[in-house]
Amino acid sequence: MSTAVPTLDYTPQSIPEPELTPEQDRKRVNYLNHAYGLMSWLLTVDHKRIGMMYLISVSVFFVFGGTAAGLVRLNLVSPTGAILELDQYNKAFTAHGTIMLFLFLIPVIPGVLGNFLVPLMIGAKDMAFPKLNLLSYYVYMAGALFFLWQLIIGGLDTGWTLYPPYSSKYSHTNILYAGLGVYITGFANILTGLNIIATVHKMRCPGMTWSRLPLFVWAMYATSIIQLLGTPVLAITVLLLAIERIFGIGIFDPTLDGDPVLFQHLFWFYSHPAVYIMILPGMGVISEVLTCFSRKNIFGYKAVAWSSVGIAVVGFLLWGHHMFVSGQGYYLGLVFSLLTMFVAVPSAIKVFNWTATMYKGSITYEAPMLFTIGFLFLFTIGGVTGLHLATMGSDIHLHDTYFVIAHFHFTMVGGMILAWLAGLHFWWPKMTGRMYSDFWSRLAAVTVIVGFFLTFMPQFVAGYSGLPRRYPNYPPEFQFWNILSTAGASIQGIGYVMPVFYLTASLFFGKRAGSNPWRATGLEWQIPSPPEPHNFPRTPTVYFAPYEYAIPNGLAEHLTGNGHANGTHKPTHEGVASVS
Amino acid sequence: MSASGTGVVAHHFDNLRQQQSTVRLGMWLFLVTEVLFFGGVFCAYTGYRVWFPKEFEAGSAALNVGIATVNTFLLLASSLTITLGIRAAHAGDVRGLKAYLMLTIILGTAFLALKGREYQLDFHEGLLPGTTTLSAGAKAHEAAHSHGDAPQEVVFVRNLKVVLHEQGYKTDGVDLSRVQLFFMFYYIMTGLHVIHMIVGVGLLVWQYILAMRGFFDHSERYVYVEVMSLYWHFVDMVWIFLMPLLYLAGPHTFAQVGEGLKVAFGSH
Repeated sequence: MSTAVPTLDYTPQSIPEPELTPEQDRKRVNYLNHAYGLMSWLLTVDHKRIGMMYLISVSVFFVFGGTAAGLVRLNLVSPTGAILELDQYNKAFTAHGTIMLFLFLIPVIPGVLGNFLVPLMIGAKDMAFPKLNLLSYYVYMAGALFFLWQLIIGGLDTGWTLYPPYSSKYSHTNILYAGLGVYITGFANILTGLNIIATVHKMRCPGMTWSRLPLFVWAMYATSIIQLLGTPVLAITVLLLAIERIFGIGIFDPTLDGDPVLFQHLFWFYSHPAVYIMILPGMGVISEVLTCFSRKNIFGYKAVAWSSVGIAVVGFLLWGHHMFVSGQGYYLGLVFSLLTMFVAVPSAIKVFNWTATMYKGSITYEAPMLFTIGFLFLFTIGGVTGLHLATMGSDIHLHDTYFVIAHFHFTMVGGMILAWLAGLHFWWPKMTGRMYSDFWSRLAAVTVIVGFFLTFMPQFVAGYSGLPRRYPNYPPEFQFWNILSTAGASIQGIGYVMPVFYLTASLFFGKRAGSNPWRATGLEWQIPSPPEPHNFPRTPTVYFAPYEYAIPNGLAEHLTGNGHANGTHKPTHEGVASVS
Repeated sequence: MSASGTGVVAHHFDNLRQQQSTVRLGMWLFLVTEVLFFGGVFCAYTGYRVWFPKEFEAGSAALNVGIATVNTFLLLASSLTITLGIRAAHAGDVRGLKAYLMLTIILGTAFLALKGREYQLDFHEGLLPGTTTLSAGAKAHEAAHSHGDAPQEVVFVRNLKVVLHEQGYKTDGVDLSRVQLFFMFYYIMTGLHVIHMIVGVGLLVWQYILAMRGFFDHSERYVYVEVMSLYWHFVDMVWIFLMPLLYLAGPHTFAQVGEGLKVAFGSH
């Protein structure tokens, strides 16, 4: 008895591209060229165009937030403060925190990649509620305008946490405008989250079961749960804060018989899960990029998928670790300390599974992969130092020092921003149809990672030695670490500016990407770049799990009985999913 | 279900069933965020009520329980009429739908009108936190019982004392100044509820206009009435929580219900 065993061939193979002349390619109708004019963009309900509008907005806000960070770092070059007055310094770090968190980190991946990719990845024509999607963009922009307005008329000096009494009695700055900004952008997040959950539940194409969902979609789903459950609580908290300020009745202000710890409970009930709103989409991006450039199936699909949900659930149970020294109960602190360590478990599951995915993979080092490898190292450092802060005993020493700043930035910048850059570089060819410069993009990745490490590693040392955060002046013995940090920030800044040039250049001079430049699996790679206005000419059918990089050519066609994808006479790429 | 009407299914859905279940899910998800939104202020209320139980009791005693009772019945009745409206829409009975929508609008507006009257009475009694205006009742009371020395308390407490005195409520051991906090919550919670009610009535009017224009002639579009009714029921439910938390936190008798209504509709 002889059984025919297909020859397994794991080596990266070149995919024959459909032979389109540049002329034909230009004439092909896609979401970018099917309509022209400003109104065709401003009033669009196409999830892809809305994603591109988010891309422009968040990039602008990233520049604002980054400039504020640059001011802070420049000021800290000298122990007595190099360039800013004391209150200017407060306003600079508050502007950095509020803009980066509320206007950049929270909306960046859900707004840009989530909008663009979730419908494509699950084989849908659009989001479940396209008009709501457009509305959430405008709500976000309206909230952003309040932030910008309060910056223009004099800024905010409370720190991004808006703690009373900083934000009640002692502040003469623009709490109300900033609060309104938080409130309104919060509603935009809720609407986006609602839309994504409904889309994932109801819009999946035939064969796209929950166990075949790309991990990016799982991560976006978990993120949306947090947005839906957490953001309304922040909204009501900010509303109470505003009412207290307007009417002078003590809800949070202790001098008016209010309780400031109550504010902290309500604030962190949202704002701690909010850091998972920021990092979870990044983790989803990493799962996509890592499998592609390792040419391997993800190790432990179910573990990675459910750990996203696990983070979303456990993330709601540990807000109290921000208040170990705020006068909450001792036993409450113990419980929160323990629960905080629990959240390290699903995060570690992800990191271990990613590492195992890379093991014996055919790894190539294109720019998205470099960012991803940077993520793995930096996020792990950020996560492990989080355990130092979760332990109540050591947190009492480390609380409100630069150690916390370094930990937070290792997860948010070393984690989230690197993941965002990885995702942007990975899907840029899909979004625009153009390839960017290989050399410059790799150089940018290395520059950002080196600059980042130099910026924040010294802050661990300075913080552990006792340098408190948010102070404009410091003892001279910390100057060495601060100068290292500022030098690193300058290198990082160069790394962030470089993509602006080579990505913009790619739009005009870049090589045509073709439908699948990375030879990746996933439905979004089976359609031309840039995609057509309604994504799929016919509703696709999915036959395989999402990362079947090991299925040899030919087998897929054999199994699906379908050798041609999408009517473009192109073989299904390694057979993951075919568009029939 | 026949999806024959091509205009009924939007371009990005495959069929009517998918569209209807998506619309329902969307509203349920929105209601989840609403629960959390009100949940935050309920948490704050709970915290302060545990810390200051007597003050919350006193504050509750000063509220008009008569209007609140009538309002409760108005809202419960409106939940029934909106549900009958879904039934009419599903059966393709547009005239019935319009009638039930109009009934619901009337009940909702009556609620809002009574609530407005209640705010007016509260204002008249000077029960505003941080107020600087002595109420007419307090002026008369202090003139009658004056012993020559001006009262030391804040204006709100002087206003509140008169209201509680009329109710026969004993204020021994109650820090009357803190009752302002109760009233703060009273205005925030009922105010948020009123805003939601206004939005709800607006939606009802909008659907009434749609019904007039023939939008609901296709009976499968009943799902939009259903989804809107979910929101309406939710706002109703919030009131079911607000009524005991605010009005029944203090001691009230059935007689006070009648008295409250007499004040609301009386000529003085």
